[in-house]
Amino acid sequence: MARTKDEAARELAEWHFGVEPDLKQVIRIVVEDEDAPDEPIKLLEVNAATVATGSVEPYAFAASTSVPFPTVIAEVTPEEYERIRRNEISSRPAGR
Amino acid sequence: MNEDERRRGFAVAFIAQARSDWGVYRLLAERGDVAACHELHYLQMACEKLAKAYRLRDTKSPVDDLLSKHTGFAKFVGPFFAAVLKEEYRGKDAQLRGLITRARAFAREIEKLAPAIDPAAVPENAEYPWERDGRVIAPCLYPFPSLELLRQGGGRAFLNLVERAIDTYAL
Repeated sequence: MARTKDEAARELAEWHFGVEPDLKQVIRIVVEDEDAPDEPIKLLEVNAATVATGSVEPYAFAASTSVPFPTVIAEVTPEEYERIRRNEISSRPAGR
Repeated sequence: MNEDERRRGFAVAFIAQARSDWGVYRLLAERGDVAACHELHYLQMACEKLAKAYRLRDTKSPVDDLLSKHTGFAKFVGPFFAAVLKEEYRGKDAQLRGLITRARAFAREIEKLAPAIDPAAVPENAEYPWERDGRVIAPCLYPFPSLELLRQGGGRAFLNLVERAIDTYAL
């Protein structure tokens, strides 16, 4: 079990690569007040298996035995990620 | 009511409605004398509201944006698996890979049951009649073959996870 938020975020991303064959990239969003107690782990996952909607839809999960920190995860396709990089999708990745 | 109170109010209401829709789905699914479209309609509504409830926990987006924007159940499934099932499936990666693949496929098919999703490409839906190849078809007379697998092992496992996402939701 991860003891720190950084460990938990790394473990979660590594585990997810192991069970999601179409996962291409996991980007962790770190903010200025990242160490605040209620600040969640925020991941943007680039996954070729998800559906394209043209938007970023972050979902928030409470701390659990799996991940002992609140977590926010959004999935985008590789094409959507390229559009985010080109600022063509205006939503803030992972709730930011 | 301030923004956070509104967010909480809507989140509680969406998960309550998802739970109620789910209950009706289960009632209809147990009956053999009701057309498949009716149970699938309630399943689709439960899944849509479930995703919206989890979306409403995003404290960084304005509540009205979250309420007005489309929330894709198909985009909820992957993050839910990632955030919730890690410990439970430790050492069972192959089993989980299969479950995730099936769950993504089911989620896409369930999302398509809403009439507004993609009526031009996929007119089949659980509510309103549609036209395909010169025929007009009523949902109550359509077998929804892509979702018949919900009654089998992989489908039941997926439905158990939907129920779990509803039951374990906490603000």
